[in-house]
Amino acid sequence: MKTLRLPSALALLLIPALVHAADFEGYGTSIFRLEQKAAPGFDKKTIIPFTQFAGADLDQIADGNLSLHLYGWERVDLGDRSTSEKNSDGDLSYGFLAYRFPKANAEVKGGRFFVNQGVASEQLDGVGARTDLAGGFGVSAFGGAPVKLDRGSNTKGDFIAGGRGSYRYGNLLEVGFSGLHETGGIFDPTTGVKRDRELIGGDLWCGPSRFVEVNGHTYYDMSREGVAEHSYQLLLRPFKTIGVSGLYNQADLVHFYAGSNLRSLFNPDQGGMVRSYGGTVTWYAAAPLELNADYRHIHRSDNFETELNGGSDRFGAEARITALDKKLRSGVSYHRVSGATGFNSYHEGRGYVMYDSGRYIGSLDAIGQIYQTRIYNSKNAFELIASTGMRIMPQLTLSGELSYGQNPRLADDLKGLVRLTFNYVAQGKGAKK
Amino acid sequence: MTRVKLLSLLLIIAGALAISACAVVSKQASLPSWHPEQLGEGRPDCTECHEEQIKAVGKPSQTFKHTTEFVRQHRLYASQDEKVCALCHKFSFCNACHANELEIKPSTFLGNRPDRELPHRGDYLTLHMIDGKADPTSCYRCHGRSNNERCVSCHK
Repeated sequence: MKTLRLPSALALLLIPALVHAADFEGYGTSIFRLEQKAAPGFDKKTIIPFTQFAGADLDQIADGNLSLHLYGWERVDLGDRSTSEKNSDGDLSYGFLAYRFPKANAEVKGGRFFVNQGVASEQLDGVGARTDLAGGFGVSAFGGAPVKLDRGSNTKGDFIAGGRGSYRYGNLLEVGFSGLHETGGIFDPTTGVKRDRELIGGDLWCGPSRFVEVNGHTYYDMSREGVAEHSYQLLLRPFKTIGVSGLYNQADLVHFYAGSNLRSLFNPDQGGMVRSYGGTVTWYAAAPLELNADYRHIHRSDNFETELNGGSDRFGAEARITALDKKLRSGVSYHRVSGATGFNSYHEGRGYVMYDSGRYIGSLDAIGQIYQTRIYNSKNAFELIASTGMRIMPQLTLSGELSYGQNPRLADDLKGLVRLTFNYVAQGKGAKK
Repeated sequence: MTRVKLLSLLLIIAGALAISACAVVSKQASLPSWHPEQLGEGRPDCTECHEEQIKAVGKPSQTFKHTTEFVRQHRLYASQDEKVCALCHKFSFCNACHANELEIKPSTFLGNRPDRELPHRGDYLTLHMIDGKADPTSCYRCHGRSNNERCVSCHK
């Protein structure tokens, strides 16, 4: 289902469904980019990729509960190659039929879709179903063939199945248990051996009062038998205008990386542990102004690359302003990353302002970093982006960006982009973003 | 091997049918397939209209208020309550960042939306050398098994 066959496949699937669909929404984005990159010591490179994204949602087919959803993209390089792979590429991101039952939030779907349930975060060609059950219970399940990456059949397994069961106690507590099995999902390039990938996990949400919430999960790697990850969040809302959150993450890399298909980067055999904790304080100072202060400490311990061991800190603050009936949106932020011994550290600042009048849209965005230690003999990086656009019709928006930057890799990075966005709705429906 | 695959397929179909049967006998009405009111631009605040619980999930509407921290930690909510996300978000909304193969980085695809909380703004190619060493788990969540074709060009 690659490259130029994609639009034909989409169109063929649409024809029979269109006949019976009460609601139709077609949308897409055409993006034409022109980028000039000048790296010291190399010739200037001009890349001109054109990418078409297209999707459609057909609702209320047949008895009104059946729907069809499609989305994909195609790219053609009109100048130098935009990636190191090939001059054209494409992907069917999803394409599935779904039947929603009027009761119990139940749904059955089949085709290519993305699953995000408990331990599973997968794209597959298969079937999936979910329903609420009596007494606060719920169940969901899926199975099929994992969608492999372009570079080979060893990037994913041959078959994947999993599911999640949950129990909700009133409005106080929800606990979930999920699992996943992927046949031949782990490929070790050094031995050429394929093993099954198996994960189980528990997740939790608890809201003992409207002022306090806890949520998070723990995942266990069955294939190498060990806890892969703990990730938990505590939320406090002492006042209507103030929110406080605390976050704790722990990953044992032997198990967290167990299913990696990029072992040159995420090698589970090298082991190591990453622990992080931190928090955010949000203050809605006045109706249009939101202030955030955040801090995170990350501690890494590694058996092989001991120079990576140690604690890093990331902290900073952000102010966001939303005014004029949300037409004006602006923000400014500063963050500092203080790296452990042997790591680089940097300061980062960003500011943006955008205005959306309904017919005209415009924005300015600036971001920059100052590094503590030079990278490729450069001390800093920045990027400035100016964007403007116009809604030609309610269904059609033309917008474009011009950006200029300098960074350690590129002495000059000049980019232009033209974007045409369409969104056609045949029947009045609510509001999906 | 073929028999195992066939058996697995039959089990999946049986599971889907069983789930469907449960739904048929239930008395609890489903959430609507989309939010009945048009939502304005910018981050929604569910509490502006919904004061109490969202009955179908038994959680206060405040839980789903799109604060900056909610957006940053949305994975924790999406893995439990995808049906609430689907009320307002089309699948393509998620797909702008979460895909098996992403063509354009989200902050370029949505370059006209600087107000959105999007990863990898600016010169992230340089910055990832620092952030990735400090906390490689943040890279793995999105690039560990999917969307890593371009990582391979350097990380061979």
